[in-house]
Amino acid sequence: MAEVVRVAIRSDADIVMVRQQARVLAKELGFSASDLTLIATALSELARNIVDYAGQGEIILSLINQGGHRGLVIIARDNGPGITDIERAMQDGYSTGKGLGMGLPGTRRLMDEFEISSGMGQGTTVKVTKWAR
Amino acid sequence: MTEEMKQNTEKTLMEELGFTEVEIARRRAFLELGDDDIQELLSINKLAKEYADPVIEAFYKHLLSFEETRVFFQDPGLLERVKRAQKAYFSRLTQGDYDNTYIEDRLNIGAVHERIGLPVKAYLGMYNFYLRNVANHLYEAYKDMPGKALRVYLSLLKVVFLDIGLAIDTYINRREQLIGKQREAMRELPTPVLQVRDRLLIIPVVGILDSYRARQLTEQLLDSISATRAKAVLMDITGVPIVDSKVANHLLQTVSAARLMGATVILTGLSPQIAQALVAIGVDLSHVRTTVDLQSGLEEAERLLGYRLVPVGERTGTNQAHV
Repeated sequence: MAEVVRVAIRSDADIVMVRQQARVLAKELGFSASDLTLIATALSELARNIVDYAGQGEIILSLINQGGHRGLVIIARDNGPGITDIERAMQDGYSTGKGLGMGLPGTRRLMDEFEISSGMGQGTTVKVTKWAR
Repeated sequence: MTEEMKQNTEKTLMEELGFTEVEIARRRAFLELGDDDIQELLSINKLAKEYADPVIEAFYKHLLSFEETRVFFQDPGLLERVKRAQKAYFSRLTQGDYDNTYIEDRLNIGAVHERIGLPVKAYLGMYNFYLRNVANHLYEAYKDMPGKALRVYLSLLKVVFLDIGLAIDTYINRREQLIGKQREAMRELPTPVLQVRDRLLIIPVVGILDSYRARQLTEQLLDSISATRAKAVLMDITGVPIVDSKVANHLLQTVSAARLMGATVILTGLSPQIAQALVAIGVDLSHVRTTVDLQSGLEEAERLLGYRLVPVGERTGTNQAHV
């Protein structure tokens, strides 16, 4: 079984594809139904950000094992305009687009670990992890 | 083929495939295609012109000796034109300037080959044939300088692999467009708005709610509300697998729009998992009426409209009393 999957994100339809791929990987780890939904929701948020703000990018899903602790890592990256003010982007209700401004802070709450790196003109990379219990 | 190529040129192919300056630079960097390589290639441009004819002749002899590639060349005039274009390309390979225009040309040529249905295996096979031929010519030309022959060959490999990558991308892009079109066709699946009772509508939402479908759904719902003068609408999302903040936003907007039309929307079929996820994201649905399932939604809507569901026996009893 593959432990890493890359999915190109170019349109809303790819969001479905990446969710299905994640479901297959996550099932291996024995995530509960509600965890699977949380993961799928986080993926949706990340993929939508790519489509809405960068136009296209990719999501890389990987299984990791850290000292017997198993988890799913999601890396969402794009070469879009990037985020100028990460701190603000992480605040609830802040959006430069037409969204609810819940995407990034919401994703952080859905997952166990959250890292973001971005800068104007440098694209954006978000790395999140959900640990299997 | 050059004329046909011009006709078929899609100006947006670069944009369509996401080729920005940055992307081109990244590809070159990954192949380690640098200025040294360009110098190496420029240094053999004269030699390349010398071996162009024998290479082209061998190239087409090979192409024509296989049925699956021969079928593309029924017209002798076409063969001549393609040969000329091919010769120009081989010469172009050693002329430097692997810039935007170059990339765009390669993409367009890849698209032409995809359109005529040339299999990828033939594409790769012919590149392989070309490289082997050129390797022999380089070896002969630089018999006394084997290092030079190798350096030039390695530089040529980088450009050729850049080109192969571009060609394959056009193939993949075409397939993705096809898949996209099929998805579009599937999206045309209607979301029916059903009238259950006077002034009560049900709208079952099934599948993925993207922006396009959400807009469609809102429009259909508002039209139906206006046509039936509905006062209550049950929007059932049992068949929606994931509600992220964008879908939630669409739903909220639909609910607000319906409210402006004088109808109350009751959202039904929110699964426990989705409810949990929405709370985690922080989406506030507190000012939307929600019920666990369609049945309780129906009961609430009927209450709202002043209907009272009475068992048959009871009703008969009342009727009899009246008689």
